[in-house]
Amino acid sequence: MTNILIIVVVFLIVITLVQLLRVGDLLSEIKNVDNNKVTDKDNNAQAFLFFMIGGVIYLALVLWQFKYWGIHILPPASSVHGETIDTLMDVTMSLIIFVFFITQPLLAWFTYRYRRTKNKAALYYPHNNKLELIWTIVPTIVLTGIILYGLSVWNNITMSDNSEATVVEVYAKQFNWTARYSGDDNTLGKADFRKVKGANVLGVNMEDPFSKDDKITNEVHLVVNKPVLLIFRSQDVIHSAFLPHFRVQMNCVPGMITQFAFTPNQTTAEMKIQEGEDFEFTLLCNKICGIAHYNMQMKFIVETQEEYDAWLASKANLSEKLLTSK
Amino acid sequence: MELTINKNKTSKQLLWIGIVAIIMFFAGLTSAYVVRKAEGNWLEFVMPSWFLLSTIAIIISSILLWISVKRIKADKHSFIFIFITLLLGILFSYSQIQGWQQLVSEGIYLTGEGSNPSGSFLYVITLLHLLHLAGGLITLGVSTINAKKGKYTSSNYLGIELTSIYWHFLGVLWIYLFLFFQYI
Amino acid sequence: MSEDHKETFITKYIFCQDHKMIAKQFLITGMLMGIVGMVMSLLFRLQLSNPGESFAVLEWFLGEKWAPDGVLDPNMYLALVTMHGTILVFWVLTAGLTGTFANFLIPLQIGARDMASGFLNMLSYWFFFGATIVMICSLFVESGPASAGWTVYPPLSALPEAIPGSGFGQDLWLVGMALFIVSSLLGGLNYIVTVLNLRTLGMSMMRLPLTIWALFITAIIGVLSFPVLFACALLLIFDRSFGTSFYLSDIILNGEALHNTGGSPILFEHLFWFLGHPEVYIILLPALGLVSEVISVNSRKPIFGYKAMVGALIAIAFLSFIVWGHHMFITGMDPFLGSVFTFTTLLIAIPSGVKVFNYLTTLWKASIRFTPAMLFAIGFISTFITGGLTGLVLGDSALDINVHDTYFVVGHFHIVMGISAIYGMFAGVYHWFPKMYGRMMNKKLGYIHFWITFISAYGVFFPMHFLGLAGLPRRYYTNSEFPMFDNLTDINDVITFFAIIGGLIQLIFVFNFFYSIFKGRKTVQNPWKSNTLEWTAPIERMHGNWPGEIPEVHRWAYDYSKPGAEEDFIAQNIPLKEGETEH
Repeated sequence: MTNILIIVVVFLIVITLVQLLRVGDLLSEIKNVDNNKVTDKDNNAQAFLFFMIGGVIYLALVLWQFKYWGIHILPPASSVHGETIDTLMDVTMSLIIFVFFITQPLLAWFTYRYRRTKNKAALYYPHNNKLELIWTIVPTIVLTGIILYGLSVWNNITMSDNSEATVVEVYAKQFNWTARYSGDDNTLGKADFRKVKGANVLGVNMEDPFSKDDKITNEVHLVVNKPVLLIFRSQDVIHSAFLPHFRVQMNCVPGMITQFAFTPNQTTAEMKIQEGEDFEFTLLCNKICGIAHYNMQMKFIVETQEEYDAWLASKANLSEKLLTSK
Repeated sequence: MELTINKNKTSKQLLWIGIVAIIMFFAGLTSAYVVRKAEGNWLEFVMPSWFLLSTIAIIISSILLWISVKRIKADKHSFIFIFITLLLGILFSYSQIQGWQQLVSEGIYLTGEGSNPSGSFLYVITLLHLLHLAGGLITLGVSTINAKKGKYTSSNYLGIELTSIYWHFLGVLWIYLFLFFQYI
Repeated sequence: MSEDHKETFITKYIFCQDHKMIAKQFLITGMLMGIVGMVMSLLFRLQLSNPGESFAVLEWFLGEKWAPDGVLDPNMYLALVTMHGTILVFWVLTAGLTGTFANFLIPLQIGARDMASGFLNMLSYWFFFGATIVMICSLFVESGPASAGWTVYPPLSALPEAIPGSGFGQDLWLVGMALFIVSSLLGGLNYIVTVLNLRTLGMSMMRLPLTIWALFITAIIGVLSFPVLFACALLLIFDRSFGTSFYLSDIILNGEALHNTGGSPILFEHLFWFLGHPEVYIILLPALGLVSEVISVNSRKPIFGYKAMVGALIAIAFLSFIVWGHHMFITGMDPFLGSVFTFTTLLIAIPSGVKVFNYLTTLWKASIRFTPAMLFAIGFISTFITGGLTGLVLGDSALDINVHDTYFVVGHFHIVMGISAIYGMFAGVYHWFPKMYGRMMNKKLGYIHFWITFISAYGVFFPMHFLGLAGLPRRYYTNSEFPMFDNLTDINDVITFFAIIGGLIQLIFVFNFFYSIFKGRKTVQNPWKSNTLEWTAPIERMHGNWPGEIPEVHRWAYDYSKPGAEEDFIAQNIPLKEGETEH
């Protein structure tokens, strides 16, 4: 019943609009005026509107958003490389905000200032090679600078020396995360998806001597200021390990092993003081992976060496956990 | 004054750009092959000997088709040449299928237990070439009938010319794929 | 020289080979699909800003199965997001934009009777129509439409056990896309050959309007990139239906280990994005072309730097083929490759910047006439600046680490495609409507449409940058599972608010469009006082475009306000006066 009512109402609205337009057209025919022609009055009104809305108000609202919503963005990075990313971001954002606040006002101003009034003529100015060169060369120089800067940050992140890093595996599947610590030998035991069975949720090959001291956990603890190398695997579809506070993101791809190394430099406790008692470092999934993609999370806790050792000691070794002779 | 449209020129250009599109299609597939091969877990095997027959058949067919077009431009009979080209095209198709069967008998499968991407790629790429060739066979068939009817003359041979451009392309593509699989 | 063939309703409106009718077929199909895609976005926006709440309208549209008790089902959420993206990227912004304007404008602006092959052109539309039917059907499949995102990465898109939409719905999606690609290629062939061969006397390449350059280069990009997507999709079809392992390896689903080994999902990403990136320039370049024309005509000024504009189009097209890796920075690819792609991606900013500066200089000392088309063209510049600048953040691999797949990206690509390119399309429709239908669209409704769209569009997409910088991922059914996102609900509410207004106001455009076809004020020969050739063709459209001979061209398309001229425009077919030099 409601459906029919809705259709009728919509139909009536359309009819009304049609009639209104017809009336407008007929009136203009009677007055012998083309009410569709763009007049100087239109030019004044529209130009002014664009200057105000596309210029003043838009820019003011952009500033407003930076002030009132800018506070919601992530806190400064909690990792060593993350700080370099943040600085690069600040520089890049400053650059684009600078360009934005030059080009947009120019656009708004030109639109208003050069509106057509009283048949004023335009200037026949088809080209100026010097100008073209300037705004090709200047952006090229600026961009080259940004590119080189960006590449140096990227290289430092991706080509870091990981020999001292603690190796931890993060295993993704629909719809949760599991972690595997590599133990004292700091080497993960080999794994194969065909070995996933029962308690061996990660398919670890227990015949590999390196597997014996591996530990499976559902939380990741890290020691502050100590490098860690996260190794990623996936069991089913592409997931993405996103640790926004550490500025870490890496796809977890079935059939591939990916990795990301970083050094956390703030403890969870410190962050709780800064951001509130409810704060936790969180791992999210950031690649569409199915129905519960929006709820794949794992806690990361950064703490002191002692706290970490105590926690890790409480976790059983895989060789004990699986209790098989294989 | 108005420029007259040269239908010969535009039809050929349309075909050539279509051929570029098909080239990009196979470029994508063969790039995928190269990228995948570099990742390891790649079963090496020899190309089925039937494919050699395919290569010979398609080369001869192109030569014959080239001769046909030349003859038509000289207003000579060409039906028999086009007809044999068509037969060789069918022979090509037959040898492709035999080649696949030969692969299966050697344990190289498209899919399922014991299959490997190296085999899968070979099957898929040669199959896609054959599908494009099927289109070529159809146009060859039409050309054969037209030739029998005496439609082509030295001043009207756009149809057979387009057919031959496409057919030669299929031949060149096959030679590229054959050498590619052989040496890369 | 009109053709004397007998026209029936079928040959005039349905299986028509006239480029003008085919253009309109593309336009209307694109518009209708645009409405479908837009409604989808409103449905999922409701869920996003009011998670878990019941909305009668959700159940009204989606039925009890997909919105039980008015709450959106999470799988259907992902399906809506997927189909919204697919429909808007391909159906509206590719077919709707290029299919309409390349078909309509190329013969008319270069001085040709029709496309090189009317038959292939007609096929191009009917493949598109077929693709549309298949896509629409996929919406009604029992296991749901494709749901792995418009980017359909495997294994998610390959395995129905991973998500139900990857069942039959995904099969239909792939078939629909295959038909779509064929349609695009058939169109592209025609556009290229027509521009190269059918230009009228005197129409050299450097006298072509920028619109034609843009459409021509777009067609070239399409011919080179769409076939690779076809290959990519074909291998996915093989993995899905024939058990091959091109993209699949080491998978356990529902407790069962699948037989596939040796496949690589990253291979899919390479093949996909090899098209995927040029695709966004296939979307953008026609909009740039249309906007160039609209700005020049309504500024009564030549477009500044014609040669540089052509060069910039070519540079953008070339660079577009070597940046695809920036979609894959965090896939674990070789870091060196990441560096290369950062370098090439940031380089694209240079020709893009040149174009923006040239547009600004065109407006400088202009005499701007504010038609609704011009407003959209100016709006294009505004949004292209905004959206383009955030590209500098995303193109930098190190920065991408923390914004990849967040709302920062969603904001960026919507502003450049969902606003800029759409504005280009609107500008084109308002501007060329008189040529298409012999009538004018209503100006006041046009103004209302522009302003409400302009405000709403920025209202929807600018705030998304903040959501992204707060770490909010995209494609999340709800943000309520992570306490870290709890303080973002205000922003989400604002976005949904503007989305609803902006979405609904498009109906004014649709109304204006269809009303004006039948009851719009009849146009004059050259309502915008434009130089380009299409305005010399009769108002009542005819096969062969011109009744007598096709006009001969003597000058470029941008002699507006040329000193020494009687009027402030000189059409391309007007011969040079005694002593006048060509620009």
